[in-house]
Amino acid sequence: MIKLLFFGRLGDYAQAVPATIDASTPAEIRQLLSADYPALVRELSEPQVLVSVNQMIASWDQLLADGSEVAFLPPVTGG
Amino acid sequence: MNRIRIQPHDFDLANEYQQLREISSAVGAVVTFTGLVRDFEGDASIDSLSLQHYPGMTETLLQEIVDQANQRWQLIGSTVIHRVGELLPRDQIVFVGVASQHRSDAFEAAQFIMDYLKTKATLWKKVSRDGKQQWIESKASDRQASTRWDLIDD
Repeated sequence: MIKLLFFGRLGDYAQAVPATIDASTPAEIRQLLSADYPALVRELSEPQVLVSVNQMIASWDQLLADGSEVAFLPPVTGG
Repeated sequence: MNRIRIQPHDFDLANEYQQLREISSAVGAVVTFTGLVRDFEGDASIDSLSLQHYPGMTETLLQEIVDQANQRWQLIGSTVIHRVGELLPRDQIVFVGVASQHRSDAFEAAQFIMDYLKTKATLWKKVSRDGKQQWIESKASDRQASTRWDLIDD
């Protein structure tokens, strides 16, 4: 299972998304969510949205090991 | 000595400055920056600000930024503090302090750390006004401030 995290405004769209999912890449996660959460997936498809795997910025095609933590990160606004 | 802290509670500027000052007798310059919560965002006033972060990853990314600063400039020590949770206008939100032998290293490194923090550290602001909450959009001016360092050869 892959643990899912959504930050910033993505969290507002992801409130009903399960905490875990079975998938082999972040891109596949996005694909799997598209049927039930189209508004969220529209946001995830914005080019500025980054994905991290186990707290490291990753590509959407990165292969996921079981137990990985995948987070979806909108543009940051700290400081 | 490099210290990175993500915390809900406030920090004491004088104490942070003193710790940087006392690292070593080679310290000849300490530059500190403190960011405050404004009472407006864009052209509208706000009642409060909420800061979310990605625990663990934020600290790692800030450490990477500080490591890069240490590669670019001759630094003796640095401190980065970012508050999270609920904040009000006038509250302190972020602190960057840099100690070096000479002022130019401290000035430039402090600005570099802030510019990179604003565009790379996993922190997100949400404003509250009139009982409604809204996530803040990232600013092109912040991205440009960060990008200019990429163009400078070190």
